[in-house]
Amino acid sequence: MPVGYRPDPVIPAPNSFSRSARAALALGVLAGGLALPAPLAATTLNELLDNPKLNAKKFANYFGDFAYEFNAAIQPPEDFLRREKGDCDDYAVLADYVLGKHGLGTRLIHVRLAGRVAHAVCYVTENGAYLDYNNRKFFVTLARSGPKLRDIATKVADSLSANWTTASEFTYSYETHRKVMTATISQTGGDEPNPGQSSPFHVE
Amino acid sequence: MSSDTPPPVPLADPTLRRVLVFFTLILGVLIGIVVVSLRNLNRSIATSDWVNHTHALISELDALRPNLAAAEGELVRYLHTGDQRDHAAYQEKFADLGESVAVINALIAGAPDEKEQFAPIAALLARRAGLATQAVQLKKAGDTAGLQKLQDTEAEGGDLPELARRLEKLREKQTDLLSARDRASFVQAQVTRWTVLAGVGFDFLLLCGAAWLIRDDLAARRQAARLLAQTNSELEEKVRQRTAEISAMNAQLVAQNLEERWAKQAIEHQNRYNLLIIDSITDAVFVVTKLMNISRMNPAAVHLTGYEPVDLVDKPLAKVAQLADADALRRTFDVLARTLVDGHEMRSQAAVVTMKNGDRVAVQLNVFPLRDRDKVVGGVVILKSSAPSSS
Repeated sequence: MPVGYRPDPVIPAPNSFSRSARAALALGVLAGGLALPAPLAATTLNELLDNPKLNAKKFANYFGDFAYEFNAAIQPPEDFLRREKGDCDDYAVLADYVLGKHGLGTRLIHVRLAGRVAHAVCYVTENGAYLDYNNRKFFVTLARSGPKLRDIATKVADSLSANWTTASEFTYSYETHRKVMTATISQTGGDEPNPGQSSPFHVE
Repeated sequence: MSSDTPPPVPLADPTLRRVLVFFTLILGVLIGIVVVSLRNLNRSIATSDWVNHTHALISELDALRPNLAAAEGELVRYLHTGDQRDHAAYQEKFADLGESVAVINALIAGAPDEKEQFAPIAALLARRAGLATQAVQLKKAGDTAGLQKLQDTEAEGGDLPELARRLEKLREKQTDLLSARDRASFVQAQVTRWTVLAGVGFDFLLLCGAAWLIRDDLAARRQAARLLAQTNSELEEKVRQRTAEISAMNAQLVAQNLEERWAKQAIEHQNRYNLLIIDSITDAVFVVTKLMNISRMNPAAVHLTGYEPVDLVDKPLAKVAQLADADALRRTFDVLARTLVDGHEMRSQAAVVTMKNGDRVAVQLNVFPLRDRDKVVGGVVILKSSAPSSS
């Protein structure tokens, strides 16, 4: 199933956002302890990996000016950062990769909504919240959620004003370009995840 | 008004009680509607979830064959070209197929029948993936003959017709299930609609009842107010009339009182005048009662008798005047008194006055009865001094 998301009508236009976002960020800076605005120049993967103070919130702040562009395949991280265009998969997988390198517990979650629409987020265990590409322009970039797959799926579906049908936890490797489902649940089923069954289909 | 007066006890208003009962019922119905609607809504959401679930399952089932075909197409392309891009492409397509199988397994996790039906399909698909792996291995090993043999075996038909048949059967069942779940969703929506409509209708009737009750009560109150106003008006009219009568009567009484005062003054004047007349008479005049007791005497009488009025008033006339008749003392009755009782006059009778100092004076005595409406109420005794005499 292709992964994408519905264009969210509540996302403000960039011009109107920049005023409110900058005002909110300025307030945040004044209050202290909050992340600084993203740098203006394009970020590289090494910058993200080498930033010792990087956390989930600071990571999200790098993507405030990124545009949405659906890609069937997941982009390599350098391409995504250079082009500043991508989709939820690119963002979630990059977050999982970078924050995982910084020692944070991350989980990639794939939520399928009613109809052939799906959405991917990266859950950060230490924050008890997930990173969602749809929230990249908002002041609050982390959406709090319970750790269960069902909790995350319900929260994601609510944020998109939709019903979800199934949700999977998966892993992705930039090296092999391979996406592996590790657990899948259905909305009408229980909380016990169904073990991933994609391994027989990993054709050599 | 005294401040200690207790406040009036409000009377129990039956209309208010009835209206409260109506509104309590309306509130109860509203709460009932909300509860039933919420319950139906939750059921509808659950049913809708199942409809979505079935749609998702059908979509995933529908995607299996195209995904398999696409994956195998990419594989064939790779087997022919050996290009790494084609290698990545078929791997991705097989991964998509695996994802679909995983999703279907999750969707049918709680349905044993569907699991039973899908298990052979999943096995067939896994077998196809296994054949793909085998073909890639033969390709990498450079075993062209083995690869050709494998492809020829698959070209004879392989598992695809069986896969299509099983998928169609499962899909048909899911379609029937979808129809049933959609019907259930529709029925629940209808139940919710009718619950709300019936509740609102019942509430409307109750509101109409309450409105009718209030209207009826208002009409009765207006009627009572009209009657009260009318009674007040009549009472005020009567009070006005009575006040006018009393005013007229009062004016009449004032006039009458004035007239009586005037009459009294006239009488007093006349009385004073009469007394002056009596007092101006030079003969001794005694006014006596019917029993011949002196009630008044004029100055001439005082002069004649030497007594002051206080000495003689209410005393018998006989104390100062007796008839000179020699038989008078022997008679058992008082001639003078008899005269008055009989209502006769007595003129120029010789009499003797006994003065205070004891002297006796001969006088001529005249008695005139005083009549009031033909009834003798007293008399006037006039004593004319005839000549001085000594005892």
